[in-house]
Amino acid sequence: MRVKVHAAGYCSFEHIGDDGFMDLPEGATLNDVFAKLGIPRIIRRLPFAAVNYVQARPGTELADGDVVSLIGAVSGG
Amino acid sequence: MKGYLGKILKVDLTTKEIEEELIDDSVYESVLSGIGLGAYYLYNNIPANADPLGPDNILGFTSGLLVGSGTLVTGRWMAVCKSPLTGGWGDANCGGDFAPGIKACGYDAIFFKGISPEPVCLVVNENGAALEDASRLWGTDAIETEEILRKECRVKAIPKVVAIGPAGENKSLISGIVNDGGRIAARSGVGAVMGSKRLKAIVLAGNQRTKIADRNAMKAYSKEVGAKIKKAQLPGLLKGYVFPILGKLTTKAKSVSATDGMMSIMINKKYGTNAVNTMGIPNGDSPVRNWGGSVKDFRFNQYRKLNPDRILERKTKSYACYSCTIQCGATCDISDLGDGKVQHTHKPEYENCCALGTNLLINDLEEIFLMSETLNRAGMDSISAGSTMGYAFECFEKGIITAADTGGLELKWGDAKAASQLLDMMIKREGIGDLLADGVKVASERIGNNSDQYAVHCGGQEPGMHDPKLDPMLGVHYSADPTPGRHTIGGGQYYNMMALWQEVSWAPKVTKYAKSEEYIPSDDEALKSVALSCYKMLNDAAGGCFFALIAGLDHWNLFRMLNDTTGWELSADEYMAIGRRIQTLRQMFGIKHGVRPKDAIMTGRMMGEPPLKDGALKGITLPIEEMVALHWKHFGWNEQTGLPESAITQELEERALIH
Repeated sequence: MRVKVHAAGYCSFEHIGDDGFMDLPEGATLNDVFAKLGIPRIIRRLPFAAVNYVQARPGTELADGDVVSLIGAVSGG
Repeated sequence: MKGYLGKILKVDLTTKEIEEELIDDSVYESVLSGIGLGAYYLYNNIPANADPLGPDNILGFTSGLLVGSGTLVTGRWMAVCKSPLTGGWGDANCGGDFAPGIKACGYDAIFFKGISPEPVCLVVNENGAALEDASRLWGTDAIETEEILRKECRVKAIPKVVAIGPAGENKSLISGIVNDGGRIAARSGVGAVMGSKRLKAIVLAGNQRTKIADRNAMKAYSKEVGAKIKKAQLPGLLKGYVFPILGKLTTKAKSVSATDGMMSIMINKKYGTNAVNTMGIPNGDSPVRNWGGSVKDFRFNQYRKLNPDRILERKTKSYACYSCTIQCGATCDISDLGDGKVQHTHKPEYENCCALGTNLLINDLEEIFLMSETLNRAGMDSISAGSTMGYAFECFEKGIITAADTGGLELKWGDAKAASQLLDMMIKREGIGDLLADGVKVASERIGNNSDQYAVHCGGQEPGMHDPKLDPMLGVHYSADPTPGRHTIGGGQYYNMMALWQEVSWAPKVTKYAKSEEYIPSDDEALKSVALSCYKMLNDAAGGCFFALIAGLDHWNLFRMLNDTTGWELSADEYMAIGRRIQTLRQMFGIKHGVRPKDAIMTGRMMGEPPLKDGALKGITLPIEEMVALHWKHFGWNEQTGLPESAITQELEERALIH
């Protein structure tokens, strides 16, 4: 399945295609996305990811076409 | 006419004449409304040698084309004038509730020229428009003035009011215009222009509606946008402690990619811009110690007191500007602070927390709350005030000014009480406050003694609290925009969120790239910065909020909303051409009034000359002149001078936009 991933600057982009999608096996979870993004296990429990713009835990199972967004540093104000 | 009203109100404060003028459809088709209408009117009606604080300057209040259309997050108004701070184009953008008030009175904009012999306010209601004596209000702070006029002028609905405070009355070149209890159109010295005209306030009490082309389409899209914003919630577990971690993580980022702007909306909904309070210090975004320091000068055990959760502890309710469902603002309880006379204040945003905090090494959040309220009531720009205090603090440290100059006040880094006292002096123009009340450039000219090296500005305007050495495209906009020093025109981070390439044929597509590419002048980077300028101008002509803009086209599509409202069915490229036209008019205005665009290019600490010795941005110096040259080139302007080339100006003449 293919999942759209909006990564943040601190992630590895190795597994994200030029179209912004990541290929994952069926039944993959948010944890699998974290692993491919190179996010250390120790911080995976920190609440900085959403699936389809709703808070998601690392164990959240993903579906084809889901949007995974990670909070990165923002600026402005 | 759909979306706009085709009419402006003109007020001559010298003769007291008030008249309406019809504006041809072709003007709106060329430059929309809002800032576009303002640029068109001011370019053609302010003579080249006009004194910015004299009768020939025109102060305009414009409402965007989408305001009142039923679209969401389209409630912004703009003050436009010849800037007394920079000598060129001046504008200030504001939310609040004033924008729909202008159109409810039947106008797209209201323009004032002349100078009233006595303080006046303009009142517009169903009986028409009239100037009323406001002498009794002169000296009253802006928020109290608004409260008084709302009560006195109310018939049915609460009127919409803008007012200046003592800072504007004293013609401080860093004063602004206040609306809705503390929102402020702060930049360019617009408050000084209003004060120079003795125009204390404007009261609007109309009830007209604006026609739009396709109400069904507008409603459907607004419902879609509203549902998305409502659903987007930051995880409850995500607290302020995460932000320094995020800031630190990004210092190691070697790659950048297109980002989902909805994440910024999620953060804004909960924290407003205060997430940056503690995120911006480890990654270098926040200027520290008058732009000369870093996280080494303001460590975690100091800056953690600016944790945005501490600000939320005082929140009593959310605040939203007209038509906005993001609700980034809030009112906060400050009844236990200071003398206790003021119960509530508008939540101080990141710019306040940095300009009055980090940049002065101050972490006293309570004093920052009080200074913010003081600035709102006085009607003074917090970025400029804080920056000027940073300059003063450094001058004091270096012995350029002493306690003898400050009336005994010791300006020590981190001393919030001293900052607060200095601020009072600036607002009242007392003692050294009089030297500082007009911003850093004027202060350094007055104080002399090589102090200009500590005055951080672009063309006279103090920059927003974001270091362009982290986001070089921000530096391009600081330097190249006709209103220099602005942090709300564009930046690389914003481009990556907006996803313009999905609809604008010439906007470079972003997937992922090395962060280092942002530091190298290139045609691609220049096309991005041009695209941002054009899109921002379109947005300011439409009345949209910057926070919706950076959500990205997937979530808030300005082109679609403009077509639903006007019925024009223009392509994204055609709309961007409108943005380019507006930007060119703004640039030509400055040149007409003797501004040399090259003089606004940032120098010194902003560009990294000398480079910082510590922190995330140490060692960086930006090749800003090359970057600006490419930006101007891709605008169709001369690379060296910033003058629009004849092919560009010819188009404006053919459209009868310049006379």
